[in-house]
Formats: sequence, C-alpha cells, structure tokens
Amino acid sequence: MAVKPLTLPWYGVGRWSGGWYAAAALALALVALGAVAYSLQLSQGEVVTGLRNVGTMRGATWGLYVAFLVYFVGVSFAGISTAALIRLLDLRPLRAVARMAEVLTVIALLLGALSVIADVGRPLRALVYLPTYARPMSPFFGTFTLVIAGYLYASLVYLYLDGRRDAALCAQRTSGRLARFYRLWAAGFRDTAEARRRHERTTFWLSLAILPLLVTAHSTLGVVFGLQGGRPGWHSALQAPGFVVLAGISGVGHLIVLAALVRWLLDERERLDLTVFRWLGNILLVLTLVYLYFTVVELLTATYAADEHETRVTMAVLTGPYAPVFWVSAGALVAAVALLGRQFLTGRYGVGLTALAGVLVNAAAVGKRYLIVVPSQTHGTLLPYGDGAYLPTWVELAVIAGLLGLGAFLFMVFMKVFPIIEVPEPSEGGR
Amino acid sequence: MARYGMVIDLDRCTGCRACMEACKVENNTPEATFWMYVFRFEEGQFPNTHQWYLPRPCMHCDNAPCVKVCPVGARFKREDGLVATDTDRCIGCRYCEVACPYGVNYFNWKSPKKAYYLDWNDPDLQPVTNGDSPPYRNPDLDGRYGPEGRRTAGGGHAKGVIEKCTFCVHRVERGLKPACVVNCPLFALHFGDLDDPESEVSQLLRRKPHFRLLEEVGTRPRVYYTGGNPPVAATRQIEPVKGRV
Repeated sequence: MAVKPLTLPWYGVGRWSGGWYAAAALALALVALGAVAYSLQLSQGEVVTGLRNVGTMRGATWGLYVAFLVYFVGVSFAGISTAALIRLLDLRPLRAVARMAEVLTVIALLLGALSVIADVGRPLRALVYLPTYARPMSPFFGTFTLVIAGYLYASLVYLYLDGRRDAALCAQRTSGRLARFYRLWAAGFRDTAEARRRHERTTFWLSLAILPLLVTAHSTLGVVFGLQGGRPGWHSALQAPGFVVLAGISGVGHLIVLAALVRWLLDERERLDLTVFRWLGNILLVLTLVYLYFTVVELLTATYAADEHETRVTMAVLTGPYAPVFWVSAGALVAAVALLGRQFLTGRYGVGLTALAGVLVNAAAVGKRYLIVVPSQTHGTLLPYGDGAYLPTWVELAVIAGLLGLGAFLFMVFMKVFPIIEVPEPSEGGR
Repeated sequence: MARYGMVIDLDRCTGCRACMEACKVENNTPEATFWMYVFRFEEGQFPNTHQWYLPRPCMHCDNAPCVKVCPVGARFKREDGLVATDTDRCIGCRYCEVACPYGVNYFNWKSPKKAYYLDWNDPDLQPVTNGDSPPYRNPDLDGRYGPEGRRTAGGGHAKGVIEKCTFCVHRVERGLKPACVVNCPLFALHFGDLDDPESEVSQLLRRKPHFRLLEEVGTRPRVYYTGGNPPVAATRQIEPVKGRV
C-alpha cells in the first residue's frame, strides 16, 4: 500500500505487521473451516447438524445457529446504542470507543444475518422470498426487516456520517488507492468549524432517531420467542425486555474487550485511558445486576406455582441436562458482578479485570441464549412426546467458528484502513 | 362452502396405527416422518394400568400459530378450513415447527429420496418391480390445489422445506376422504363438513361429548375427539416410534 508517513495519530492505519498477517491468516482459516462445513450442510442437508424435529423425533429444530443469531444481534445492540448515547449525552470520555462500537454493530449484524442464512433449509429462496413475500404479522419480520435491514442500514449511515471527518483528514495525507476510498467516504467534507458543527447536529439527530428503532428492533427478537403460547418457557412478557438487557450486556462486554485489545495493540493509553474502562465497567455492572434480577424473578415465577409444563422446562434447566450450561452461565454473571462491583466499591479500576468481566459476561450471554432457544423445544412439548435431546455437531460448531473468524477478520481489516479511534479535534489537543 | 374437520372416536381406536401406515403410503412420506401419528398411552401403576390411544393428525387450527409466524406466507389457511403448506414457497426456517404446540411439522433434513423405505431403483428390486414406478408414488401429489393454485399436496418432498399433514387435500378436492379416515378398520376417524349440520361429523359432535387437544392454548383446532379425555400429566407414552433420521 502506498501510504505516506503520517503526522497525526492514525492508530495503526496502514501498518501491516507480521503479527497482523498471522492473526488474519488464523481468522481466515476459521472462515475456510466454516465454509467447508457449510458446503457439506448445503449438499447433504441439515441432517449433518444435530437439529431434529420437535415431537416424535424428540429433537430441537432450532439450535446453535438461532442461539448465535440472537447473540450476534444482541452484541450489535451495545455498539450503536453506546455510540448514540455518547453523542446524545455528550459523554466525552467515551468518545474514543464510539467508532469501535459502530463497527462492532455493523459486523455483528452481518454475522447475525449470515447465521439466519446458515439456519434456513433454503438459503437462496430465503434471500429472495423474505423481502418479496414479507409478512409483518410474523415476528421474524422484525428480525429480518427491522433488525437486519433497517437497523443495519441505519448503523451503516451512522458509521459513514460519523467517519466523514476522519476520512477527509486521511484523504489529505495519503496517496494511492486508499486515498480514493477516503475521498469517496469524506464526500466533500472540509474540516472547518462550520462543517464540524453541522456534523455534530446531524449525528445528534441521527442518534435520537436510532434509539427508538433500537429498542423496537431488539424487542422483536425477544418476541420471536415470547409470543409463542404453545412453547412453555418462551411464552413470557419478560422475553423482550430480558432480551434488550442481555443484548446490552453482551455488547458492552464485547466493547470492553475490543477497547482493551486496541489499547494493548496500539499502545494507546492516552485516549483509551482508565476513565473509558471505568465508564464501560460501571454500565456493564448495572446491566448485569438488572439481568440477574430478571433471572431470579423468572425462575421464581416458573417454579413457585407455575403450569407443570413450565416447571418441567425450568427443572430441565436447573437440575436436568442443561444444568451445567445454566450454572456456568449464572456463575460467570455473578463473577463478573463481583469483579466489577469490587472495582466500583474500591474505586480502583484495572483494564485487565474489566476485560475479564467482559469475557465472562459474553460466555454467559452465549450460554443464556442457548438456554432460551433449546430447552423449550426438547422439554417443552405440551403433548406427552417425552423428553428430547439436542447436541450440536462439529458442522454447526465449525460454521459458528467461521462466522466468528469472519467477524474478527473484518474488524482487523477495518483497523488497518481507517482510524479505529476518532481523530481528536484540534481543541482536544490530540497532536 | 364446506369447512372441513375431523372427529376421532377414542372409544373405537385400538392403536393399530393403520392410519399412520395409510398416510405413509398415500403421501409417500420419508422415514421418521409421521404426518399422522398414534400415541399409545398408559396411565396408573401395574397391575392397575389403563392403556388408550390417541391419533394425532395436524389439527388444522382456525387460529393456527404456524400460519401467524410464517415469514413468507408459505403456511396458510384455506377457506375450506385446511391449513396448507406451499412447499414451493417455504424457505425452511422452521418457525412454524417451534410455534406449533402439537408437534406435527416435519422438516426434510436430507433429500427425501435418500430416506424412503425402499430404494425402488435398487437392481435387486428391478426383477420384482419390472421397472414400474413405485405404487405409492402418487402423481396427484405434485398437482396444484385450491383457488390459490398452490402446490400444497405433500408433493415435492424436497430437501430443506417443512411438510405436514395436508388432510389429503388431493383426495378431498375430488370428493374423497383422507387416506387415514378410509383405512381405519374400526371407523374411528370421521371426516366431513363441520358447517353442514347434517354431515356425519356434525351429527357425531351433537350426539357425543367431545374435546379438542390443548384448547387452552387458543388455537381453535378443527380436529375433535369423542369418547375419551385429553392426556394429563400422569399420562405416559409407551411404544413411541423410533423416528430419528
């Protein structure tokens, strides 16, 4: 790449190191593995997965793919909501993670869309028919149309508008092919006080518009499950708010881990200072406490005097075949609360511990998504079919690994072609 | 217009599962797929046990959760009461399956050709079949039915789509009754127009106390049961089919 030496802080743009190539190769290897597994699924059918019919086949027809669809869309939540809140509430200390959050949202939504495609039996038909014959009556309409189309579009617009200033700055200082890309992105932006003010105003209103869309969009994914009266364990008004809160947890957790990684990789202690991690850690602490409260209320309702079918699903989760997943997830959430709570009480914050909490809550979020999707199918049949079982096969695991690899690769590429942290304005003294 | 429904007399059902067999032959469903299924139930403790049987076709609900959730309208309610699946439209997301409280949906996990009970192209079979097409391969299944003209009669059996009991729409539209009904040796299954007070099913429902499965879920099924009670928590299934592809 023909990139001239730069004077401003560019956060590693254009510096393609050996470590980067190694990491990219690893990510692409995962993508290749996922592609191989998926092609096997395409040619043989979903018989290569662990999924089977609910009922006489005593299986779960939605499994890891749907659990990760829910997880990915959840992760996307925090991205754009953090970015929008930073803009709306003018949270200056968090400005440094806004770009990261926006990219996280876009990538997570892409992965969510791909996991839908991985799950359906007729992927090509799905791509054509979902828009052609869309029915707003189906909760899936919300998932596909609101989340994956509307929300992804809004996030892309946000990322684009928010990046124009940096693109203009980059365009001034680079030559070659990338410069054309920067000029296209900047679209005539000039870094004057007037333009900056207009830019601020635009992103403010866009943030305001995104927030309600965000709550609606993420609630629709909760009601995909919550509206099903025939599935004990799913049919609950708590699904939508619970979904939004857990989405926030996994997203903020992801953001913390990314910020810690970027800080370590770019040695960017100045802009990604402890204040950033204090803020994000405290947000995560509050969200996790809310979710634990939801969990307790939910368990109490489902065991105290509930319908026997409801109790059967809950007992399968608490003491049955899903108990390991449940208790590990719950333990991870409690451990994260302990870590973050200790930091909050003592006032001593550490990047490592906050990032560890981020990893813990994400592990818990994956576990919880799995527990939302699967047990109600294997243990929630209203007719006495008997208990079922579901275990993902290597194909499903490989496809999910491929998606994660793809996400990591996209993020890495973005980091190398665009400043992952907003270039500070002159008044902020970034030079 | 006729609005079809089914009445199942549990007093008569002996659990012989002939209806399941009839359905399989008529609709050529692949292995481990039971559009019609007969539960064999047991209640009580030995020696004071009681066995009874409950056939479970698709309930063709009037307030069908599967129809509501289908994102592309492949699952739809016909004016004559049938809940149909357009296998040309289905994208295989299986939302109908998780929404259905009765567990009547079957996804084609692999190419059904690889999951039929008998490989009709097997060279060992050729001398016996003399090159004929399988007797159960009913060309009616590939036709288009109803005013919508959609392929809803179990035809196709394509990989990656959902299928379920069609109430034998290809027979019903010709004035015949579903295969399970006509093959029941004890006349436990009845099929007809529930809107016509003189039909056999309406008369049965007037004469006998009846229930519908999982009425509390609000699906308003079109399949009625007489001469028995719905399964309860203590009801155990015995002799389940070994149906896992």
